[in-house]
Amino acid sequence: MGTENPGYPIFPARPTSSPFASSPPSAMTQQSGRPAGGSETSGFRPFPPSTSQNTRPPASGLVPPSVAPNTIPSQAPVPPFGSRMPLSRPPPPPSVSSPPTAYAPPGGGPFQRFPTPPFPTAAQTPLPVPPMGPPPAQTLPGQLSSPPVSFRSQQQVPPVPIGSSSQSFTSGLPGANPSQPTGDSQSFAPRPGFQQPFPPTSSYSGGAPLPGFPSKQINAIPPAPAVSFSPTAQSVVLAPPSTVAPYPPHQGGFAQPPALAAQQNLHPGYASPISNVQGLVEDFSSLSVASVPGSLEPGLDHKSFPRPLDGDVEPNSFAEMYPMNCPSRYLRLTTNAIPNSQSLASRWHLTLGAVVCPLAEAPEGEEVPLIDFGSTGIIRCRRCRTYVNPFVTFTDSGRKWRCNICALLNDVSGEYFSHLDSTGRRIDLDQRLELTKGSVEFIAPTEYMVRPPMPPIYFFLIDVSISAIRSGMLEVVAQTIKSCLDKLPGYPRTQIGFITYDSTIQFYNMKSSLSQPQMMVVSDLDDIFVPLPDDLLVNLSESRSVVEAFLESLPSMFQDNINVESAFGPALKAAFMVMNQLGGKLLIFQNTLPSLGVGRLKLRGDDPRVYGTDKEYALRIPEDPFYKQMAADCTKFQIGVNVYACSDKYIDIASLGTLAKYTGGQMYYYPGFQSSVHGDKLRHELARDLTRETAWEAVMRIRCGKGIRFTSYHGNFMLRSTDLIALPAVDCDKAYAMQLSLEETLLTTQTVYFQVALLYTASCGERRIRVHTAVAPVVADLGEMYRQADTGSIVSVFTRLAIEKTLSSKLDDARNLVQQRIVKALREYRNLHAVQHRLGSRLIYPESLKFLPLYAMALSKSTPLQAGHADASLDERCAAGFTMMAMPVKKLLKLLYPNLIRVDEWLLKPSVGENDGFKDVLKRLPLAAESLDSRGLYIYDDGLRSVLWFGRMLSPDISKNLLGADFAAELSRVTLKEQENGMSKKLTRLIKKLREIDPSYYRMCHLVRQGEQPREGFLLLRNLVEDPMGGSTGYVDWIMQLHRHVQQNS
Amino acid sequence: MGDVWTWLISFFFLIALVGIIVYQLVCLADLEFDYINPYDSASRINFVVLPEFILQGTLCFYYLVTGHWLMTLFCLPYLFYDYQLYSKGQHLIDVTEIFNLLNREKKKRLFKLGYIILILFLTIFWMIYSALDDYDD
Repeated sequence: MGTENPGYPIFPARPTSSPFASSPPSAMTQQSGRPAGGSETSGFRPFPPSTSQNTRPPASGLVPPSVAPNTIPSQAPVPPFGSRMPLSRPPPPPSVSSPPTAYAPPGGGPFQRFPTPPFPTAAQTPLPVPPMGPPPAQTLPGQLSSPPVSFRSQQQVPPVPIGSSSQSFTSGLPGANPSQPTGDSQSFAPRPGFQQPFPPTSSYSGGAPLPGFPSKQINAIPPAPAVSFSPTAQSVVLAPPSTVAPYPPHQGGFAQPPALAAQQNLHPGYASPISNVQGLVEDFSSLSVASVPGSLEPGLDHKSFPRPLDGDVEPNSFAEMYPMNCPSRYLRLTTNAIPNSQSLASRWHLTLGAVVCPLAEAPEGEEVPLIDFGSTGIIRCRRCRTYVNPFVTFTDSGRKWRCNICALLNDVSGEYFSHLDSTGRRIDLDQRLELTKGSVEFIAPTEYMVRPPMPPIYFFLIDVSISAIRSGMLEVVAQTIKSCLDKLPGYPRTQIGFITYDSTIQFYNMKSSLSQPQMMVVSDLDDIFVPLPDDLLVNLSESRSVVEAFLESLPSMFQDNINVESAFGPALKAAFMVMNQLGGKLLIFQNTLPSLGVGRLKLRGDDPRVYGTDKEYALRIPEDPFYKQMAADCTKFQIGVNVYACSDKYIDIASLGTLAKYTGGQMYYYPGFQSSVHGDKLRHELARDLTRETAWEAVMRIRCGKGIRFTSYHGNFMLRSTDLIALPAVDCDKAYAMQLSLEETLLTTQTVYFQVALLYTASCGERRIRVHTAVAPVVADLGEMYRQADTGSIVSVFTRLAIEKTLSSKLDDARNLVQQRIVKALREYRNLHAVQHRLGSRLIYPESLKFLPLYAMALSKSTPLQAGHADASLDERCAAGFTMMAMPVKKLLKLLYPNLIRVDEWLLKPSVGENDGFKDVLKRLPLAAESLDSRGLYIYDDGLRSVLWFGRMLSPDISKNLLGADFAAELSRVTLKEQENGMSKKLTRLIKKLREIDPSYYRMCHLVRQGEQPREGFLLLRNLVEDPMGGSTGYVDWIMQLHRHVQQNS
Repeated sequence: MGDVWTWLISFFFLIALVGIIVYQLVCLADLEFDYINPYDSASRINFVVLPEFILQGTLCFYYLVTGHWLMTLFCLPYLFYDYQLYSKGQHLIDVTEIFNLLNREKKKRLFKLGYIILILFLTIFWMIYSALDDYDD
């Protein structure tokens, strides 16, 4: 313990004398977080040591007690915390107590996950391990090997091994940190080879609740809470070694893989103590998989498999570590630890990238602040054009600022100048939101405009052929548009226009001086011209009455139309010609396969024989280059296209969707549209499309620090240059994924910054720039990358990659792509731990990725990727592909692993007020057939639709109450209507509530009764992703399969 | 004597081909460094793709007609590759995906360029050879 002690005595003195406790958090963050040059260092030199001292002491404070209490019941660790830290670190106690909360929810998971079978292995693991501890120690000074010694003795006391080890792992931390002051005072001087992943943490988190540290703690000692908090410590204690990954998850960053042992000698202080401990406890979660491959042993308890029943849980340690980062709803990295070398990056098989949702809906009170720099102009870096953000540092008594991305010193303009206080932060920091918030919006001056900001423009291209009228689409569309006229954004500048088409194209003159719209028919499809080009697109507020009159008469105008043709291509060209002056949003309502003029499409046989051959992909790409060309032209002229396809026959979504894909639009598909059934859905989704806040003529760019580069972008948009995403119209329901790669073999910085900038025209006519800035630490350790991984983001990127893959190869290849990458990642992870642990026949994975296998399986069973020809029609497949390419992370995860909730018991309970226990009822069940009880009533909800499943033995009272007189009829013809009784009202409320949770799509409520084939299979059973269905594997088999692949060559 | 002329004409053919391919490469490079936008780049490249193919076909045919079947053989793989691209409809640059395809397209054209230059050297060799032959006669 020699190394630890030096740190320890310092501790009591520091906190009181250091300004740390008193100085506001932001100050510290500002100061210490930057890659400071030598000049500034002097300014805040006092701090870094003090912060680092502060972070360290808690740990070192722990040391003596931790050794002692090992033999005492495990609650012992807590008092030392309290007694040591009261002054400087109020937070740690909470942090200690927080682990249970952090881990409790999944708690059911982690613990039951390792059911009885693992126990024997559990018992074994500790035994072989201690001998393994010393070897790493050989490279270290003698004193360092003492911890293992003490450990070994602890190990013999069975009840406490975990608690003690995690404590003493913390005790390792002090050892790790002492050299940090040097590190900090040199600031970001390159540390060859050895990047300490967390120093930034301690310096960043600086003041306030030391967010970094607590977070470390949280993750670091998952097992500790288990030990200290579980009443039955004994039993739990036995379990952890084999099960949860107790051990230094975080400091794993310090703990070096054996390969780096040599480097450890250079920095004995960092790594050694921990590497001694390494091997005593495990760093990962595991599933015990039957040892005989292929056989299902009774020991394999699939009930204990991890399931995301709490929805998407974001890794929040990261947000705590860097409180000034933009919220994760805007930007999510696939791992919040960037590898420091290309070789390390190449071992990270789970794509390195990010998912950006620049306009995500912010909850009440967290809106992005709008900042007007006025005459100062927007402050940006001279060289790399980075916008000013919380991570820039001001130096030279406030006259200069250093760009956090390219490290260039910029001058501070006179108007923006502010003095720095003694700690080196700007005096006016509190009034400068752009320097304290990760997400801000600037009002852009005229330099950011190539033309005057455009008004919101909505142009409608409506199919009026016979099927559009028969299905009732025309009527629904006309009504919805009319009802939304008041709510269109951008009043009074909003412009609107209409074209309808069947075998001819009808233009409507809606000049405000007219009382009735004039229709002009163009039937020459080969040489389209636009009559009266100025009066087709009119200002809504001026021509309001004409527009209303038009929408009112539109359904009746065509009610006798018996034209079956559709001149879609020429109509699209006409719309393009009308719109290309200004751009805007083009909404296309298409009901039949385009059959006339340019861009006509053939009925591409959805031939089952094509599946599985090399030509299969051709079905999923646009048949006619016209569509790609049109899409490219539309983007060029700032036209965003949304396609609403309502058809019961093949309509070639692959071609039509291309228009939406490359213009940043959205594809809506209503198979078998009937206004009586799907009317509400179309109404809701069209209304949302028309009324949601939309950003016009936008471009988006994401900048990142030196040494890394975004190489590929995935989503619905078109690239205007290598890194500029053109988005004619963008809104809160669109997200974009991107992958990055390292350009330099070695990153020398300790952190990497990302900045997303979206330049757009708001509906009110203001040009704005929305800027999201985030920082991530650079690490040298693969284990740390795994710990900081973000499953949701990884799944999101994989989804896009797989869907893109289906456009150039077979479905099989796309599914394999995902599986292979996950296998590679798990194998790499296994290799990382195979040295120190006896893994046996266990599948191990980091806690952060516990849901990844399940999501990957769900992905390979999702509509765009699922097995073969018979499972989904070509159109559905393509439409789902376009939808999923644009989905934000949370919605995508919900679509992949939908909610299944049981409601009958809740319905029977007496009603208590308006919000009667929605919380209780929203308890998600595993998506397996065995979750379905034939006496129950279930709601299945994947975000796009919901299914109400009536069990066969459900009490008839319930069905009678809910369905009224129809309760015995075949449910395919019954729609859910509110009945005059409490139970029905309660259910209606619940469904409404579910719809409100995520308004981006309307969940049609399908009713199905158990055993009602084939509807049941189609609506629900097929979507129970954990069950084997047809040729696809179930959850258990999938895990076995992964495990087998992982074990090959490992 | 006629042989020298044959070679000289094919030499000009090849120079033209090299010019076209270099032009396409320049367009792609410009795009990569953001000097021109993808629309211009794609339309410029697509404008010369077919002339390139036709020129290449003509050259091959020319070799055949003039009896240099060995050179025809050399040209055939290239012609076949072009034909394949054309028949699959992949000969034109897709403006929407141009950035994802940039590297592949560049590599494709670099290989083509190398191939053409190889043939060019052969042609020059034969040209000089036959010129010397003529001289000897």
